[in-house]
Amino acid sequence: MSPDTRPDPDKLLALVNHDGGEGVPRRGRLKVFFGASAGVGKTYAMLNEARARLRDGIDVVSGVIEHHGRRETQALMEGIPVLPMLEIDHRGIRLTEFDLDGALARRPGLILVDEFAHTNAPGSRHPKRWQDVEELLDNGIDVYTTLNVQHLESANDQVARLTGVWVSETVPDTIFEAADDIALVDIPSDELLKRLADGKVYVAEGANTRAAENFFKKSNLLALREMALRRTAERVDAQSDELSAAMGQNEAQLGHKIMLLIGPDPLSTRLIRHAKRMAARGRAPWFAVYLQSDRHEMLNEKSRARVEQYLRLAENLGAQVVRLSGAQPARDILTYARQNGFTRIMVGHRRTKWWLKPFRTAFAQQLIENSDGIEIAVINGDAAPDSVTENVVSSIRPFIARPIDYGLAFAAVALATLAGLPFRDNTPSDNLTMLYLTAVVIVAARLGLGPSVVASILSVPAFNFFFAEPYYTFNFYDSYYYITFVFMLVTSLVVGSLTARLSRHARQVSERERETQILYGLTRALSAVRGVDRICEVAISHLSAPYNLAVSLFVDAPEGLRSVPKSAEPEDMKEMSAVRWVAANTQMAGRDTDTLPSASGLYLPLQAENETLGVMGLTPNASGRRFTGSEILQFETFASLVAGALQRARRSDEAERSKIDSENERLRNVLLSSLSHDLRTPLTVMNGSVSLLLKMRKELPRKAMDELTALWGQLIRLQKFVGNLLNMAAITSGKMTLNFQPYMIQEIIGAALSQVQSTKENRQLRTQIVGNLPMVQIDGGLVEQVFVNLLENAFQHTASDGEIVIAAERDADRLRIRISDNGAGLKAGDEARIFEQFQTAQTLSSDRAGGTGLGLAICRGIVQAHGGMIYARNNSDKTGASFIFTLPIVPDLPKETP
Amino acid sequence: MTDSIRILSIEDEADIRKFLRATLGANDMTVLEAETGREGLRLATSQTPDVILLDLGLPDMDGMEIIRHLREWTTTPIIVLSARGQERDKIEALELGADDYLTKPFAAGELIARIKVALRHASRPKGDAPFVYDYDGLTIDSAARRVRLDGEDVRLTPIEYRLLTVLARNSGKVLTYASLLKQVWDRHSPDNQTYLRIHTQHLREKLKDDALNPRFIVTEPGIGYRLNP
Repeated sequence: MSPDTRPDPDKLLALVNHDGGEGVPRRGRLKVFFGASAGVGKTYAMLNEARARLRDGIDVVSGVIEHHGRRETQALMEGIPVLPMLEIDHRGIRLTEFDLDGALARRPGLILVDEFAHTNAPGSRHPKRWQDVEELLDNGIDVYTTLNVQHLESANDQVARLTGVWVSETVPDTIFEAADDIALVDIPSDELLKRLADGKVYVAEGANTRAAENFFKKSNLLALREMALRRTAERVDAQSDELSAAMGQNEAQLGHKIMLLIGPDPLSTRLIRHAKRMAARGRAPWFAVYLQSDRHEMLNEKSRARVEQYLRLAENLGAQVVRLSGAQPARDILTYARQNGFTRIMVGHRRTKWWLKPFRTAFAQQLIENSDGIEIAVINGDAAPDSVTENVVSSIRPFIARPIDYGLAFAAVALATLAGLPFRDNTPSDNLTMLYLTAVVIVAARLGLGPSVVASILSVPAFNFFFAEPYYTFNFYDSYYYITFVFMLVTSLVVGSLTARLSRHARQVSERERETQILYGLTRALSAVRGVDRICEVAISHLSAPYNLAVSLFVDAPEGLRSVPKSAEPEDMKEMSAVRWVAANTQMAGRDTDTLPSASGLYLPLQAENETLGVMGLTPNASGRRFTGSEILQFETFASLVAGALQRARRSDEAERSKIDSENERLRNVLLSSLSHDLRTPLTVMNGSVSLLLKMRKELPRKAMDELTALWGQLIRLQKFVGNLLNMAAITSGKMTLNFQPYMIQEIIGAALSQVQSTKENRQLRTQIVGNLPMVQIDGGLVEQVFVNLLENAFQHTASDGEIVIAAERDADRLRIRISDNGAGLKAGDEARIFEQFQTAQTLSSDRAGGTGLGLAICRGIVQAHGGMIYARNNSDKTGASFIFTLPIVPDLPKETP
Repeated sequence: MTDSIRILSIEDEADIRKFLRATLGANDMTVLEAETGREGLRLATSQTPDVILLDLGLPDMDGMEIIRHLREWTTTPIIVLSARGQERDKIEALELGADDYLTKPFAAGELIARIKVALRHASRPKGDAPFVYDYDGLTIDSAARRVRLDGEDVRLTPIEYRLLTVLARNSGKVLTYASLLKQVWDRHSPDNQTYLRIHTQHLREKLKDDALNPRFIVTEPGIGYRLNP
């Protein structure tokens, strides 16, 4: 096997478990029960399988099941827990809808969501049910769903042409193709027809019976069945390709890369579906390209919105969307295609009208002539009625202006006339045409092409009426005026249209200028301020006014999303849920998007370097306003700028905090060392003095001696407490450095035993060393401390004549040491807690630990620092407790040398 | 008062000085007091005390520096007073030539006992001169190279014998692992303490000594070994 063809284990693994890797929650698995039409038994099949899963012990919940009153289906639903539907009040009508939030809160292992293509009731989070399913999957919940072939986006127009029934509920192909499992539910068409005749197939209420009859024709059912079978087969193909790609074979055998050119023409929809099928067949990557040329500026809002809609459609069907801008469309597109290795360009084409043919070369023609090497596929569009009107509208677009502008054009001509009247008798009338020309230029510059044309056309009769003799008639004596009129008309039309175009360009330039200005201003202002709140203020003040928007920012903070300014927090739950959704999914949502489009604001994630820093909300002050694609693009740029600034602020906050932390740490160490000195000095003195006094047994009265003895005992306790406190401080601050040396554990036990001689009273201390123990690599002083603390702990909880056993034995590569007593033992639940700091008899249910509550915590700290573990349990014979800890054994003993 | 034992205490804390004065005075010892390292060095030279008690945390000089200075010209026993947990300081002080250490806080009796051990040690012959050790049934006669336990000869390997004699010469005093390695193995000293552990273990077995309850060789965890008394 050559290295190139060896399977890539990572790819194979990724295919098997679609996981995002460590730390990323597993994405749920989607299984689609796929059929040719209603009535084939998808829901039935889904329920059957769900019952099997339920028997496997999986937490199955039914989210939505459309049983349409069929008894067999209802019977199958029995025993499957049902998630209650959400009731939505929409303009007085009660609608029930799938409860997405309920499902997310319930977190079942598997959820059944019938009718994948369903459109949600207005006001739901997502317009489409498949988007709900996506969110379930993202949250690691497995989903079973059902789908008819006619609801597939790319099959939609085919089905419509075939059956005459247009379905508005569709599911993007990408979603369908991303499903982990497709189960084809298929019955022969004859059987389906029989079921239909028996009334076993649900036909939507209120649906036109004739339409239904049309739909369920045998020829249609055969065609749909074929489509469903083919789609399933294609998917199996695609999967085996994925597999063979992972196995090291060529990914795309054909090596095609397809570019589809998209325009405002409704023909684009067909083009997109066509391109999608072509790409799927050739398994080629495909791109939907929109060229934003001068013509884009001339499009009306409706056309622009349509372009956005087409681009979204293409994206849904798996295309990558690219926006290019350039002045020479054919040349720019070919350059881009060559640079990016496209092999085929698909373009729509409409027949050029005969009278235009001499003047313009069709765009497709231009592409073909310069394509060298790149295939150009031209899809001919027949002139659909709506597209004709659209074309007309598009070509008269420059003439569209407000009626008042035409009034103003008329007024301008009237004004020119009035201005000329006083000079009528002593000036050659030709010169007075200049007045009209001036008026036309002004109108063109101010009001655009349409009004300037009107002004040009009005100028001629006005001139004739007022300035050509005989005055106040449309007659003229001098045939010379014919020439004047023609030249006047032509000149003013040409000058007017040139001026109008020029001023339109100037306006566009100033608009772009404005955009750049805002961007520049924002960038500069953001770089000048520090702190999250100031950044938010700057962003809000720079964006609100120029776009006539209410801007609100929601910054990710430890306690959740924090709105800046505070007052910006929307009272509407819908807005806030949009904000949360955006923050969680790092995708834009709200107004003029696919997610929560009924929200009044548009919400963009503030994301920098894969870090979500918050959400930016944009709510237009004018309620009817729609955001255009280019506006949203601008907003995204602003959002990324603000996100960058917020990230910088967060970084510098973190740096500041860590500086404070290290300062605190330093302070703590200084405090500790001075504390240790300051506490020890008086303790030493007291200790010395009391021990001196205790020696004067003969000179002091008996009562004083008793008091001194008690004082001595307390002093010893205090000393131990201070010692423990300082030890604990060293452990918790991580300042404890271990001085590893090899030891026989007996040496350490011996040293510890001699330390506790004075406090053991009459207790029996026994040691059990099992076998020949190897050496351990430990910090002798610290482990001695562990023994001392554990022994003293045992003393506290045994009678003064109790028995304590220290046992040590080898356990594989560790030494296991056990210290058992015959005291009261531990109360249930205290086994782990006693090792926490400051757990004493007061805080614990059992009378364990006692004293300062630090001794055992110190033991744990030391043992853990050695790579061992420590735990406590009651003895099996219910007498007393055992404390057990382990220590690593020196790996290999060096050979002895003489 | 010329024959009384004279102790120099170099200690900056007045309270501890007072306590030392009281404790030592009660045991018929004369106390010389120095508040600073410089003063201590001056008194050590001019008064030649029998034992020096040195606090390691002095304001003007590093305690190690004082030990180094003293050891340039005198073998007067030095007992270091230090805080608990400062094992590294103790080892360093011992290796620089301090004789013993006391961990604060300490009891009066313990202090007196340590001073007595130090005095006895100071009175013993120095260097390689022959000596006799006799404690709790164990006798070592270095002139005869003979070790007897409870009246019976003990057969030791050369290294075990050297280890035992080094400990015995300094009996009652803690010897750090590093100094033991250096003295027993001379310049061929292995840098691995495991050897020392193994030989000590063998020596203990031959002396019928139990590490759990030592009769002769005592382990000071983190510091070194000490031979009783």
